[in-house]
Amino acid sequence: MIKIENLTKSYPSKMGPQYIFRNLNFNFPTENNVAILGKNGAGKSTLFRMLAKSEYPDRGRILTNKAMSWPVALQTGVHPQMTGRENTRFVGRINNVRSLPEYEEKVQAFAELGKRFDLPVRTYSSGMRAKLVFACCMNIDFDIYLIDEATSVGDPLFRKKARLSLKEKSEEAGVIMVSHELDQIREFCTSAVIIDDGKLSYYQDLEEGIDVYTQDAANKKSLK
Amino acid sequence: MVTFKDQLYAWRGVIFALFLRELQSKFNDKFGLGWAFLEPFVFILALSFFRSLLSPGDVHSVPLFIFMMIGLMGLQSLTTCLQSVSTSIRRNKPLYAFRQVQPLSAVLTAGFLEFFIKVVVVGLIAVALYLMGEDFAIHDPLLLIFLFLMLWAFSISIGLIFGIAAAFVPEVDKIKSMLTRPLMFISCVFFSLQDLPEKFWPYLTWNPLVHFNELARYACFESYGHKGVSLSFIIEVTVVFVFLSLAMYHITWKRVLSR
Repeated sequence: MIKIENLTKSYPSKMGPQYIFRNLNFNFPTENNVAILGKNGAGKSTLFRMLAKSEYPDRGRILTNKAMSWPVALQTGVHPQMTGRENTRFVGRINNVRSLPEYEEKVQAFAELGKRFDLPVRTYSSGMRAKLVFACCMNIDFDIYLIDEATSVGDPLFRKKARLSLKEKSEEAGVIMVSHELDQIREFCTSAVIIDDGKLSYYQDLEEGIDVYTQDAANKKSLK
Repeated sequence: MVTFKDQLYAWRGVIFALFLRELQSKFNDKFGLGWAFLEPFVFILALSFFRSLLSPGDVHSVPLFIFMMIGLMGLQSLTTCLQSVSTSIRRNKPLYAFRQVQPLSAVLTAGFLEFFIKVVVVGLIAVALYLMGEDFAIHDPLLLIFLFLMLWAFSISIGLIFGIAAAFVPEVDKIKSMLTRPLMFISCVFFSLQDLPEKFWPYLTWNPLVHFNELARYACFESYGHKGVSLSFIIEVTVVFVFLSLAMYHITWKRVLSR
């Protein structure tokens, strides 16, 4: 459970502050794998980054005793000039893993990069980068993994592997995911949180959430 | 409960990781890390050498070559540290996705790296001086080391202030480069404060770098004297700027993250 208390978040702009959330109170469930759904600009990524503490709210706070991963998106923290191994070691050091060589080995095996693990990341394809980032994250034990469309570029085989390893972890760990692709969400998640107009609502059943989300979008379209 | 010791330990881990990352990403061409030492070393050596060719002799009992070298060293330490530290906040932006990495860790890492490079450059210069037969006994080594550390703390805090300001107003970067350019000419790099009539001193002595340079020369050669400059001014300015920069950082760092 992640408790969001009185949270207000805005971004400065030429037309004054743009409020994303105002005095938001919400209990974010973490028992299931949760998908965050919402239109573009509704604040999905903002909420996501605040959960990860990559950004902080203007007022209010987010309380949890779970260990959260960093927001795993394409290329977070990967330096193109450094090799896959050097990048992996960096992530390992930052997260204080117990044994770096062991971690390195596990990431190399999981990411299926083979010898190219020792080449600079700039020579990788986008799919390979995504694999590397995902492998770095999955091989550290967190309570909650925050995943932002990172897996969408991987090939079907890798996606399957990713899903399996997440399933394996789901005994003790949860996933929070942001994605626009409903297929991908159906693959990984079992419930949904919908962001609309700065309000959050939770749907225990993913399909129900997706129905509301797509109908909402359709209704708004027909009103216009 | 996370103790203070754990916190320090975590900070050390993050800064160490950033430090290695900086080394790996910055110096991965054929020259490698050597270039970082060589470039300022050659710059300082060449400039001092040609200046001493033009008019050999002593400046107020300091050999001109060493006189120039100290001035350039002070100037270089300030400007490169300022440049690297103030851009480090933006340079490491993608890494703030990891909540362990805060802007201050990036700033400290950049500062440490510059410090480390400058220490090696000082070592190289000492070797060069020895080989050229220009060796001399340093009158007050403790003062010299103290000045160096102070200059370093001062440069990092100025860099931090500029870095935070640039996160909110990007134009600050342009102003910064305009401000640092005349430093070469007003910081007593290739002339001594004592060469000027006393009534012009107030126009120069507001600049802490003048004090750093003149006192460093005094620390090497007692006979050079320390007219018009004071150690207490350096300490006061450094303490004020360290406090100011940390205070600015404390109230803005969360907003810097979402910029």
